[in-house]
Amino acid sequence: MEKTIESRELLDVKDLYVNFYTYAGVVEAIDGVNLLLKQGETLGLVGETGCGKSVTSLSIIVLVPPPGVIEKGDILLNMEDKAINLLKQKDRALMKIRGEEISMVFQDPRGALNPVYTVTQQVGEALVLHRKEELCRRVLQELERDISEANTFKRFIYKCEKKIYDKMMNTRERSASLSALSKIPFVNRYQGRLRNEIRKEVVRLLKTMRIADPERVLDMYPHELSGGMAQRVVIAMALSCDPRLLLADEPTTNLDVTIQAQILLLIKELKDEMGSTILYVTHDLGVVAEICDRVAVMYAGNVVEIADTFTIFKKPSHPYTQDLLEAIPRPGKEFKSIRGEVPGLINPPKGCRYHPRCSRVMPICAQLKPQVVEIAKGHYVMCHLYER
Amino acid sequence: MGMRAYIIRRLLLLIPTIIGVTLLIFAVVQVLSPEQRAALYITSEKDAGAMEEIIAKYHLRDPVYVQYFVWITQVLQGNLGFNQKSPRGPVLANILKRAPATIELTIIAAPVIILSGIFLGVASAVHRDRLVDHVTRVISIIGWSFPSFWLGILLLAVFYAGLGWVGPGRLSVDTDVFVRSADFTRYTGLNTIDGLLNGQLWVTGDALKHLILPVVSLTVQSIALIVRVMRSSMLEALTKGYIVSARAKGLGQREVINKHARRNALIPVVTLAGMLSAGLLTGVVITETIFYIPGLGSYAANMALPPSDIAGVLGFTLFAGVLFVIVNLIVDVAYAYIDPRIRLG
Amino acid sequence: MKAKKARSESPTIKELKFVVTRIKKSPLSIAGIAIIVFFAAVALLCPILAPVPEGQEDPYRLTHFGWTSEPQPPSPEHLFGTAQWQYDIFYGCIWGTRTAFRIGIIVVAGNLIIGLIVGTLAGYYTGVIEELLMRLTDIIWAFPGLLLAMAFVTVMGPSLDSIMLALILVGWPSYARVIRSEILRVKQEDYVEAAKAIGCSDLRVITRHILINSIYPIIIMASLDTGAIVLAAAALSFLGLGPPTGYADWGQMISLSRGFIYKNAQNPLGYWFTWTYPGIFIFTFVLGWNLLGDAFRDILDPTLRRR
Repeated sequence: MEKTIESRELLDVKDLYVNFYTYAGVVEAIDGVNLLLKQGETLGLVGETGCGKSVTSLSIIVLVPPPGVIEKGDILLNMEDKAINLLKQKDRALMKIRGEEISMVFQDPRGALNPVYTVTQQVGEALVLHRKEELCRRVLQELERDISEANTFKRFIYKCEKKIYDKMMNTRERSASLSALSKIPFVNRYQGRLRNEIRKEVVRLLKTMRIADPERVLDMYPHELSGGMAQRVVIAMALSCDPRLLLADEPTTNLDVTIQAQILLLIKELKDEMGSTILYVTHDLGVVAEICDRVAVMYAGNVVEIADTFTIFKKPSHPYTQDLLEAIPRPGKEFKSIRGEVPGLINPPKGCRYHPRCSRVMPICAQLKPQVVEIAKGHYVMCHLYER
Repeated sequence: MGMRAYIIRRLLLLIPTIIGVTLLIFAVVQVLSPEQRAALYITSEKDAGAMEEIIAKYHLRDPVYVQYFVWITQVLQGNLGFNQKSPRGPVLANILKRAPATIELTIIAAPVIILSGIFLGVASAVHRDRLVDHVTRVISIIGWSFPSFWLGILLLAVFYAGLGWVGPGRLSVDTDVFVRSADFTRYTGLNTIDGLLNGQLWVTGDALKHLILPVVSLTVQSIALIVRVMRSSMLEALTKGYIVSARAKGLGQREVINKHARRNALIPVVTLAGMLSAGLLTGVVITETIFYIPGLGSYAANMALPPSDIAGVLGFTLFAGVLFVIVNLIVDVAYAYIDPRIRLG
Repeated sequence: MKAKKARSESPTIKELKFVVTRIKKSPLSIAGIAIIVFFAAVALLCPILAPVPEGQEDPYRLTHFGWTSEPQPPSPEHLFGTAQWQYDIFYGCIWGTRTAFRIGIIVVAGNLIIGLIVGTLAGYYTGVIEELLMRLTDIIWAFPGLLLAMAFVTVMGPSLDSIMLALILVGWPSYARVIRSEILRVKQEDYVEAAKAIGCSDLRVITRHILINSIYPIIIMASLDTGAIVLAAAALSFLGLGPPTGYADWGQMISLSRGFIYKNAQNPLGYWFTWTYPGIFIFTFVLGWNLLGDAFRDILDPTLRRR
């Protein structure tokens, strides 16, 4: 059966099931998730810890860590001329997509950076992987200029460099001769030109991240960066190759509140400037209100409600969403929490996974998993209350 | 603070450490009587007969602090005493004469141990709980439990007595005769290199052949620790966030292991290099004895064998101690080079 | 509703039960325990397995059964054959087990005692005492152990007691360091402050609270170390720095076999029994302790428990 995708849609997650095979048993972490992202929109993925939102975003780039296994589902990515199913791609193809078409920003900025490499080295890594051609082209232009101005001896050297960069620009895969060349001590100074281009590009990216003094940051190590600075670097790394889709997995959770606000503002500005499509995973409803166009609410491995932000806050329809919003403490209001606990997913509740805690539970909820119903345009709920 | 400042700081720390080492040896020596201690100051055959003069000259009945200074000045002038056991002669000269054999052995053994340890450690971590992992751990535990001297004997029994491939010693008999003859110039004292420098490659080959069993013996003893630390350090590195982050950038699993995980995982292993050199220093004592290699280790063993030659044993211990401290310094600097957090923190 | 009075077991018993269950599940630790139990049995049954010859005072002395220097192959009277100068190899191996246990227990005990004292003092009290003790610890610890032990033994005069004393002198710093770092860690815990606030004396705080909680790494270290100590003692003995020739000691027996690796062209491995049996004894003994120590490390490591 042909899997298709609309031209205005970017990502279509269909019926995703992910299990974790642990010593204690099989954890049914993702139980049939459906998501749709349109071009240029920011979709918030909200839920408590353990509801599966991180796993969902990791599944999109097929990096679910073992013992997790993506059991079934389709994840369609719209790539201009065609749609590809990410879950059916080979490793090689996925490596091309990651970083270039889809990139990810993580929760712990300093954890996401390797402590023994500098900022330039790490941001540059992504550039070299996906934008090598462009960088080589720039180097070649510079070389042309140098050749025309140089004397005979230097010209010879530059011509050799030109040959090397030509080859670099045109080979897609690893070339044995190039890797050998890069290891010879004196000869590999030709790499200096590429490094310069990378540095220039990284400076440009850091400036986009509103970092005041990018040249200074270039050679710093992760432990020398503050939390906010580190997160900007990680975002720069993610956006370096201009991806279609940005997966943001709780990027501000580990930061101080004031820094949180700065980074959120940054993301908002970038969103407006670049028209990015973002899947924003968070447990913070306040953030959702700030930045998301649409919201998907997750509970225990299911998406229970999807709607645009306004609707979710004003007209929450799924009992869980309602309870969640009720539980937000407000001055003057009585403090209300959701009774019960988030279920373990080794033996999840039968039927609707929320039924043990639901205030409007019906007999059928314990037996049958509800279908997803569109109760208004663009507003979907998975609950027996709304089934015809 | 950059690398330079760190290096200077470590170099300055070197002095009190070495003083500490000398104090320790000195304390050990004081247990002996003045007559016995005189052996540490004799420089030639002549002196050996003139006991009282020696005692007086070097203040061997004077208070401890006086003796310490006297001894240190002697040591700094290169006087480590005199060997009355064969080979008779000044201790320092004997040590330097025997050094090349040990250097040759350790220079070849160290990379073998380190590289195979790293390789096995990474392999067991990456293929955790699979065959490679189990086999490696079994080999490690067995290696750790093997008495080094027994291993040497077994190796000789199998490969020398049993199969007749290669015998003990640095060279086979004919090669040895040739090497001592006028046709062969000794440049370094290392048979492998001298063979090359003389253009007689077969000498190098023979030397290498005779190094195989001793190196295997040293490797089995020392490898267990490196494998274990590398494995656990690699396992930890693989759980870190930057691994997923790197893969999200589009790197393949193997690249990520090599470029990101391994570099971080190597950090704790570098500190092991200090322990490794300690292990090698002790290991050569036994290995050289069993394989009849005339190096520093067998020198120490000979000197210690009763009736013991105090000057020889203590001279060797002092030499080894200082050497060890210097190696640790190099390790610390290498550590700072690999892990930027250390020097900048 | 009446509250049920739950009779819970003392935490120590629960701990022990947990440790025992984990041990039962790990084949390697069972193997290790089995080996050690086997050797302990051998050590206890020494007089029965290898009866002391008539009129001999010291059971550890190996008697000369004859005066030829060539080792004789195994026979009904000499189960493992005889070594150079006609020492009975079987006798030496059996009584060597007792020697090995003696060495292991005495040296580890010595290390523990000195290490405990120094480590506790240096960890609990800060200031000059701590500095001095730590400097001393560092200097000894920085030295390659066996070499320093060699120097000690040479100076003291070779004998079994010298070896044990030397190994104690060389070994205590590792224990002192571990104990000290554990104490430094536990010292900051709230329950220690609470104990002090109630008015517990220093000694009581140290023994009841701190040491109890620092014990696991020490147990691991001691069991792993026993094997290494026996190996080190055997190595020193092998080099001739141990008891005088003719003593029931594994290391010495192997050194006696050094000259008998190659017999002759017809039967190159003819003297195999001289080096095989003692070697197997040492190897298996040390292996048992290493397996046990490894198992302890896996079981008692607090970060890995109760997964």
